[in-house]
Amino acid sequence: MSADKLEALLARLYADERARSRFLADPRLEARRAGLSDEDSRALEKIDRIGLELAAQSFARKRRSFPPRKPPARLKRWLRLARRARL
Amino acid sequence: MKDRFGIGWRPELAAGILANLDRIDIIEVIADDYFDAPKFKCRALRTLARQVPLALHGVSLGMASSAAVEGARLDASARLIEEIEPEFWSEHLAFVRSGGIEIGHLAAPPRTEATIAGAARNLATAKKIVGALPLVENIATLIDPPASAMSEADWTREILAAARCDLLLDLHNLYANAINFGFDPRRYIDRLPRERVRGIHLAGGRWIKAPSSGASRLLDDHLHDVPQAVYELLEYAEEKIPQPLTVVLERDGRYPPMEALLGQLDRARAVLARGRPAAQAEAA
Repeated sequence: MSADKLEALLARLYADERARSRFLADPRLEARRAGLSDEDSRALEKIDRIGLELAAQSFARKRRSFPPRKPPARLKRWLRLARRARL
Repeated sequence: MKDRFGIGWRPELAAGILANLDRIDIIEVIADDYFDAPKFKCRALRTLARQVPLALHGVSLGMASSAAVEGARLDASARLIEEIEPEFWSEHLAFVRSGGIEIGHLAAPPRTEATIAGAARNLATAKKIVGALPLVENIATLIDPPASAMSEADWTREILAAARCDLLLDLHNLYANAINFGFDPRRYIDRLPRERVRGIHLAGGRWIKAPSSGASRLLDDHLHDVPQAVYELLEYAEEKIPQPLTVVLERDGRYPPMEALLGQLDRARAVLARGRPAAQAEAA
């Protein structure tokens, strides 16, 4: 389960400036708050800070230019399955 | 079969592509642009696919994650692929969302056994729903993914083995990562199972600076010409990979005249032809 939690924390660090600032002030505390294992918490203390700054900037630009799309409507999926069932 | 050379389909390039199909063997279309498109737009794409070899390229599934790919997105991919009947489809070895947060672009996950297993599961699910495995593409990253336990080459190799899928090797992504994180891109190519490489992406990028420190990294932005170093990597890859390849030039903006893009394709064609058997070069 720690892998899911690690990805969730990384997503937050990449997309949320306030979460990123909190994390950079005390990585171990934020990693523990996110429920990460000791091993992952230690790894995050050594995070590539330059990379985090540049990646977060780049993701923010992408989100501004191409806002993330919601998954296609479930209704369409249901209609397609229903159509297939009739065939 | 012979090597093929194509270009990413963008509305701004459509007229130039259609006017130069004698120099373009295949086009690559962003699948996500059509997931919620009106029917007429999908019909137009289907018509295009009947006239020109076409591949669909996905950007939002998030295959390389310990979390499962969203069913609705996979279903949309399946629906589009069923309608368009592309020659093949592809996706990235990236995660794009987690914990309810959309990152907004392709992010490199920690390179661990967990993400290898997650990618293999996601690719198996994709095959079940779509009916065919995608080619998977290595991504560019500005951050060395934290908590990684192995090199990018080994991680990619493990996923290809676990999922039994083929690779779309993006040479500019590889080049940018090699520059940013100090490894030899040739050794990366050496580590790949060469029989698994079916496609190549070419693109360009630019240097960006971190405001806090002034440190620079190379960004893969698809807004610049293919650099010399990437052609050199193409030549190296050609020496290692004997089977025919589909080479696609990606350009997402700051479009130069069409002739300049075709010139980059011609240069890639010449690089591959140099090392290919004479029969294939003649056929090309």
